[in-house]
Amino acid sequence: MEFIIGGMCQGKLAYAKEHYNLAGKKIVDGETCTLEELEEADVVYRFHLFLARELSDPSKAGNQTYFEALINRMEEGKPEKIIISDEIGYGIVPVDKTDRMVREQTGRICCYLAKRAKRVIRVVCGIGTVIKG
Amino acid sequence: MVAVVTGGSGSGKSEYAENLACSLAKGPLFYIATMMPFDGECEKKIKRHRDLRKEKNFITKECYVNMKSLSFTKEDTVLLECMSNLAANEMYADDGAKEKAYEAITEGIKALSESCGNLIVVTNEVFSDGCDYGEEMDAYIRLLGTVNQYMAGIADEVTEVVYGIPIRHKKKEEAE
Repeated sequence: MEFIIGGMCQGKLAYAKEHYNLAGKKIVDGETCTLEELEEADVVYRFHLFLARELSDPSKAGNQTYFEALINRMEEGKPEKIIISDEIGYGIVPVDKTDRMVREQTGRICCYLAKRAKRVIRVVCGIGTVIKG
Repeated sequence: MVAVVTGGSGSGKSEYAENLACSLAKGPLFYIATMMPFDGECEKKIKRHRDLRKEKNFITKECYVNMKSLSFTKEDTVLLECMSNLAANEMYADDGAKEKAYEAITEGIKALSESCGNLIVVTNEVFSDGCDYGEEMDAYIRLLGTVNQYMAGIADEVTEVVYGIPIRHKKKEEAE
C-alpha cells in the first residue's frame, strides 16, 4: 500500500495522479464510498471521512481491532492500493466528545496504516516528501 | 541529553518517546505524569498510557505544576508527558503560575535538564487548525508554542512523530 497524507487542500490527490499511472483505475471518495467499494478500489481519497463515518457507529468506535482487520483486508485484496487521508490531529483538542474520539482514533488507525504501508508520503503545498519507504 | 518529541493527536508520539527513554536509560527511569484526572475520559487516557508503559519499568511521579520542585540525579532518565497538559495546568489550575506560566515552565524544564541525565519531553502540535478560539485559547496556544520553541532551543534532539514515523528536526551532532 501507498499512504499519502497531509493537511487539507494540499494537493494530495493531484500528487497521486501525477506520480502514479491511474489510467483506468478505480478511484473512490471516502466520504461516500461503501465498504465493498473501499476494499475493491485502487485509490481511496479522503479516507479520514470514511473513518469518521465508521467511527460514528458506536459498535465500531474505539474498536481498533476492527479497523486493523479492515486495513489488512484492503491490503490483501489490492497490495498496490493508494490511500489518501487528511492529517487531522494538528489542532486544539475539540470540545465535543465525539469529535475528540474521532480525531484520536483516526490517528491511531492511521498509525497502523502507516506501519503496514510500503511507502508513506507527506504532501505540503503540493510537494510530496517520502517519510517512509 | 535533552530530547523533545512532538506530534499531533494519535500520532504515536508517546510510544516513540517511551522507547527513546528506555533506550537511553542506564539507571532509574522516571515518568512525570502531568494529566490531572478530573473526569472519566482523563482516567481512561491515563489508564491507556499506564498500560503502554507497564512492561517498561517506569517509576511514575505525578506532578501537575512547578517542575522546579522535583529533583533527580545524573543517573536518572526522565520522561515528562505531556507539555500540553503542564501548560494548561500552569495557566488555569489553582496552584498554577497563571500569568507567570512561561517563566515557571521554562525554568522548570531548565532545572530538570540540569538535574537528570536524560530528559525527554513530549509535547503537542496544536497549531494548525486555523480556527479562532478567542483570547483565552489564543494565550494558551501562544504559551505552548513559545515553550516548544524554548525547549527546541536547549534540546539536543527534536523529533516530530507522524503516524509512528519519526521525523528528525534537530540533532546536535549535525548542527555543530
